[in-house]
Amino acid sequence: MMSEPKNNKKILIVEVIDDERSLCDVLHDKLTREGFSVLEAKNGEEGLKIALSMRPDLILLDILMPKMDGVTMMRKLRQENEWGKKVPVIILTNLNPSDEKINKAIEECEPAFYIIKSNQTINELIDKIRERLSR
Amino acid sequence: MNPKVSKDFYTTFFNETLDGLAYCQILFDEQGNPIDFIYIKVNKKFEELTGLKKVEGKKATELVFITNTINSELIEIYSQVSLTGKSRRFEMNIGIYSKCFLISVYSSQKNFFVSIFQDITDQKNIEKNLEDAKKAAANVLEDLQTEKEMLAHAKAKDEALLESIGEGMIAVDIDKKVLLINKVAEKMIGWSGKELISKELTNLPLEDEAGNLIPSNKRPTTLALETGKTVKVDYFFVRKDKSKFLMAITVTPIKLNRKIIGLIEIIRDVTHEKEIDKAKSEFVSLASHQLRTPLTTVSWYTEMILKGDVGKVLPRQKKYLKEIYQGNKRMIDLVNTLLDVSRIELGTFRAEPIETNIITLAKSILDEQKLEIKKKGLIIVENFSKDIPTFSIDPKLLRMVFQNLLTNAVGYTPPKGKIEFSISLENKNICIKVSDTGYGIPKNQQNQIFTKLFRADNVRDKDTDGTGLGLYIVKSIVENSGGKIWFESEENKGTIFYITFPLKKVKGEEDKK
Repeated sequence: MMSEPKNNKKILIVEVIDDERSLCDVLHDKLTREGFSVLEAKNGEEGLKIALSMRPDLILLDILMPKMDGVTMMRKLRQENEWGKKVPVIILTNLNPSDEKINKAIEECEPAFYIIKSNQTINELIDKIRERLSR
Repeated sequence: MNPKVSKDFYTTFFNETLDGLAYCQILFDEQGNPIDFIYIKVNKKFEELTGLKKVEGKKATELVFITNTINSELIEIYSQVSLTGKSRRFEMNIGIYSKCFLISVYSSQKNFFVSIFQDITDQKNIEKNLEDAKKAAANVLEDLQTEKEMLAHAKAKDEALLESIGEGMIAVDIDKKVLLINKVAEKMIGWSGKELISKELTNLPLEDEAGNLIPSNKRPTTLALETGKTVKVDYFFVRKDKSKFLMAITVTPIKLNRKIIGLIEIIRDVTHEKEIDKAKSEFVSLASHQLRTPLTTVSWYTEMILKGDVGKVLPRQKKYLKEIYQGNKRMIDLVNTLLDVSRIELGTFRAEPIETNIITLAKSILDEQKLEIKKKGLIIVENFSKDIPTFSIDPKLLRMVFQNLLTNAVGYTPPKGKIEFSISLENKNICIKVSDTGYGIPKNQQNQIFTKLFRADNVRDKDTDGTGLGLYIVKSIVENSGGKIWFESEENKGTIFYITFPLKKVKGEEDKK
């Protein structure tokens, strides 16, 4: 049943796993099915550490998280090194980008997409990930 | 003076003087009581004044000149004068002649006297007229006083009424000078009436949210005077002690014979109301974000099952799963709408105006509705002018406006109906018109149609899905973008919505509050 080909792309999911276990699971499952290898981090601090050591091909990043929020993590990542400056980030959240701080971060850190989870099908999300990775 | 001259002089004097002169003798009865007098000598003037002829040698009682009463009065006075030698002067009305005389009597010899008659009728009349005039004037004054008291009473009543109003009220004249301020207003703004009366109201500071002072020409007082219309606005008022509060101001011009003679300003402290409103919106916002997560879970899992990611799905199962997916989708839409509303109300809906091609936008939204339009067999008439320039507006917000209006038109028009979507340019305004041949809005509910959560009775029966938020959002967006919206509707005939946006200067949301 699980016979999808591996595509050698690593995706890091940074999301509050405790609260959104089921959402994280389904995403993990779907990405694996589509041939990606999946890494997980449960907050911004851990996300930054894993990102810098494992160097994933793309990061799916939530905003509201304990310890370090997604916006801060994205800023640190961009400032860290050349790789961190360029790695594609997709913000995947249920928070509207209505906050001044979020807007400024989007402008400066240039994430590939800002996606509201509930407004996107999981297949559309996969399409967007593929589209960004193919650039 | 020799005796000859003297005699002539007296004779002339006697005859020519303007007063009537009579030389008389008192007559007594046997007991020595005076009962009559006899005219010994009278001059011409006396006869003229009294109308008596040839009286010399006649007794007073023989003459019809005067009545008996007067006669006896005269006899009384005359006899006293002639007996005592004390002169008298008195006035006497002699009715039958309608004349009034000033009579002077003196006596140089006992039992004899001289009586001098002066006609003072005219003088008396003048005096009487004067007296009458005085009385009339006094009456008028009295009336005036009564009137004045009534006015004062009415004024006191008005003032008491104004004082009793629960809201702050300030009246100003056309020079914006304070005429009147009630207690509630005094307390609210921290200035006393004494300090404000006759001062310009616009000297008191009003600020916007960011703490910028509102310039005189943008103050509601000025705007109401200039436009002659009621102006409603919320600003921060800075009290005398520098504390601030959010004030809801309604300024209404007072018109007399169509001319503005002043303004009435009603003011309210809405700090508390706004706080509650904000707390409510924040709650909705927070709750909505929380709601999105489980909805996403349902959505993504269902989607994966439907796509066969976790094994083959039987057709019947697929049908059920689709229902779950659709129901969940509706819930997501509702949450999104609630979030839009709370963002509008919190003022966090940041309009980001960019040069937008409105026709392209309109077409893409029509495209989205294609499926539903086809299903109902609706006729769509696109009426887009070619000369529409791009203009500065937030395309995300404009998209919401179009989406809502078109979804309504499509949803509330029975099959085979017609929907017309027009965009044109008129007088430097972008004019948008969306008309349908649908159910319409009942007349008695038309004034509520833009109210949050309101749904008209006729569509509530036909479609249970609506939220009553669409037109509220549309109106908020249009007005915050500097546009205007209105409609015409007749039940079971259809509805036309009109929107205009000025080409120049489209305001962003931030400018509003």
